[in-house]
Amino acid sequence: MRPDYIHKKSILTAFRVKTGSVKLKMLMLLGFILAGLFFTQLVFANNLATDGEKLSQVQQNIKRLERENITLKAQIAQESSFANLSKKAVELGFKKPQKVTVL
Amino acid sequence: MDRLKLFQFSLYLLALAIVARLFYWQFLSPVFSGNSQSQEIKIQAQRGEIYTNDNFPLVANQEAFVLFAKPKELKTGFEEIARKLAPLLISEKYATNTAQLTDDEKDKKQKEIDAKEKELVDKISQKNLFWVQLARKLTLPTKKTIDDFKTPGLGFEDDAKRLYPEGSMAAHLLGFVGSDDLGNDTGYFGLEGYYNNQLKGKAGRLGQISDPNGFPILVGKYRPIEPRKGSSLYLSIDRTAQFIAEQKLEQAVQKYGAKQGSVIIADPKSGNIIAMASYPNYTPQLFSEYSEDFYKNPAVADTYEPGSTFKLVTMSAAIDAGAVEPNTKCPVCTGPRQIGGYEISTWNKKYYPDSTMTEVIQHSDNVGMTYVADKLGLDKFYEYIHKFGFSKKTGIDLQEESEGTIRNKDDWRPIDLATASFGQGIAVTPLQMVQAVQTIANGGKLISPKIVKKVKSNNTEEIIKPDRQEQVISPKTAAQITEMMVNAVENGEAKAFVPKGYKIAGKTGTAQIPLSGHYDPNKTIASFIGFAPADNPKFVMLVRFTEPTSSIFGSETAAPTFFSIAKDLLTYWGVSPKD
Repeated sequence: MRPDYIHKKSILTAFRVKTGSVKLKMLMLLGFILAGLFFTQLVFANNLATDGEKLSQVQQNIKRLERENITLKAQIAQESSFANLSKKAVELGFKKPQKVTVL
Repeated sequence: MDRLKLFQFSLYLLALAIVARLFYWQFLSPVFSGNSQSQEIKIQAQRGEIYTNDNFPLVANQEAFVLFAKPKELKTGFEEIARKLAPLLISEKYATNTAQLTDDEKDKKQKEIDAKEKELVDKISQKNLFWVQLARKLTLPTKKTIDDFKTPGLGFEDDAKRLYPEGSMAAHLLGFVGSDDLGNDTGYFGLEGYYNNQLKGKAGRLGQISDPNGFPILVGKYRPIEPRKGSSLYLSIDRTAQFIAEQKLEQAVQKYGAKQGSVIIADPKSGNIIAMASYPNYTPQLFSEYSEDFYKNPAVADTYEPGSTFKLVTMSAAIDAGAVEPNTKCPVCTGPRQIGGYEISTWNKKYYPDSTMTEVIQHSDNVGMTYVADKLGLDKFYEYIHKFGFSKKTGIDLQEESEGTIRNKDDWRPIDLATASFGQGIAVTPLQMVQAVQTIANGGKLISPKIVKKVKSNNTEEIIKPDRQEQVISPKTAAQITEMMVNAVENGEAKAFVPKGYKIAGKTGTAQIPLSGHYDPNKTIASFIGFAPADNPKFVMLVRFTEPTSSIFGSETAAPTFFSIAKDLLTYWGVSPKD
C-alpha cells in the first residue's frame, strides 16, 4: 500500500497540470478576442476612411441637383416673363384689343 | 517552432505592416499643393427671392462662378490666354450679337476688350502669386466656353448671382446686390437694401480633415454647419399693373418730353403698394453701368412742391375742422389778392366771384384756397398737415425714403400759410401725397404704405403690418372731398380724357420749380392724383412728370396718362363701366 502522502502529491500535480492548461487556454482566448477586436477596428476605420469618397460623391450629386434646380427655375421664370411673352406676342402678330365690350 | 512563437511572430509582422503604412501616409503619399488637409470652407448662403403677388420671381438666383488662375501652373503664353478670355469677361451689355451693335458701340466694345486683355496679362504674369482672381459672377454659358479652352492653371469656384427674369421691371423698387468692402454680397437701395439682413441668410462652414485626395476623413474632426438660405419676400406688387404702369409711363415721358416721370398705384383699403414705376430707370443686372443718380427711387426719395394736388389736404382739413363746407361761398375770389406784400392770382388769371368750395377745387382756384387757409388758421392747418403724415417718413419698406420739408410753425408768415394752402413753399414726397389721398379714398382712415406682405423663410412666416393706422378725417368729410374730386374730374380741365362710364375722383397739379430763390415759370412738376371707382376705390394713383416740355400743365400731361393707365387697370380688374 502506498503511503497517504504519495497519493496526495499525485493529486496535487494533476491539479497543477490542469490549472496551467486552463490558463493557457484563457490567454489564447483573450489573445484571439483582442486580435479580433483589433481587426474589427481596422476594418471599421478603413471603411470610415474610404466612406469619405462616397460622402464626397453624394455631396457632389446634391450640389449638382441643386444647381440644375436653380437653372431650371431661372429658365422657367425667364420663359414666362412678361418681357418675353410680350415680345413673342408681337412677333406672332397679336394686337391689343381696341374696344372692350361689357355685356 | 511552437504555436506560441508563430503567433508572436505574426503579431510582430502585423505591427510592422501598420508602422510601414503609417510611414507611407505620413511621409510618402501625395499631398496636393494648396489643399490643406485641415480646412475650413465657407459655404455661401443662397439669397432669398423676391416674388410679386402672383408668386412670380421678380428676383431669383442663378449659377455663377469665380474664375481664378494659378500663374505657376499656366502652360500657355499669357498673351494668348488673355486674348481668349478678354471678350468673355467684359461687360454683359455687349453680350448682344456684334451685328446688332452700332459702330460706336463696336468701338467701345473693342476698347474694353483691349483694356481687359492688358489687365489679365498683368494679373496672370505675376509668378510670385499662387492664386489670382480674374473675374466674378460669370454665368454658366461663359464657364462652359472657358472650360472648352482646356487651359491648365485656370479654375472655377462657386459664386452667387442675382437673376431678373423681367429685366428692368420695378428696378427702383428692387434695388440691386453689389459688394461691400470685404467683397461680400450686399443689397443696396430699395427692397434689397431695406431687407438685406433677411435676404442674405447665413453662411455655413465646413470644418473637416481631408485625405491627400481631398476626400473628407470621417474619423477626423468633422463639424459641418449648413448654410441657411435667406428669407424670401412676397410683395403686394401686381405684375400686370406694374407692367401697364411702366409701359404707359415710358411712352408718356417720351411723348411729353419730360425729364422724369413716376407712377405710384396703391390699394386704398390696405395701404399696400400695387405698382411703383419711375422712368428713366436702370437694369439691376448691370447697375454698375449706370450713374449713381439712377439708383434712388424718385417715387419715395424725391421731394417736390406738390402744387394744386395739395389743395385736397387743405380743403379736407378745413371741412373736417368745420371751417368751411362744400357749398360755402368764397367772398375773396373776385380777383388777385395781396398778402404780406405778395400778389396771389389764379393759374389762368380767370376769377369766379362767389365760387363755392366745390368750385374752388374744380377751378383749382389759388385765391379761393387762401380764403380756406384764413378760415382754418395756421394752428389747425399745421396740425392736419402732420396728421396726414407730411414731414415724416411713411415707413415704407424701401431704403431711401425721404421725409419732405415742412418748416417749423414759428417760422410761418401769412404768405407761407397762403402759398402752402395751394401746395407751394412746402416739399413732400410723391408717396406722402399718395398716402394723403389714400386716406380720403379710405373714408378718412390713414393706413401707412408697405410693399412686402410677408417675409418667408424655411419654417417661419412673418406678416408685415402697416406702421400706422389712424382716422385722420371723418368719413363724412372724406365723402364730401370725394364728391368735390369727382366734380373736378367731370367738369375740370382734363374732362376730355376721362374713360366713359367710370366715376373717378381726382385733382390736377402744376407746381413751379424753385430755382435759386425764385420760380422758373417754364419749368414745372405736372401731376395728377386720384382714385377709382370713386364709390368703391380699387386703387389710388399718382402720376407725376418733372419738367414736361410739350405742355407745362398737369391737365395736359399727367391727367391723360392717369386716365389711360386707369382705363387699363379697371378693365384688367374686371370693373365694368356703369353707363
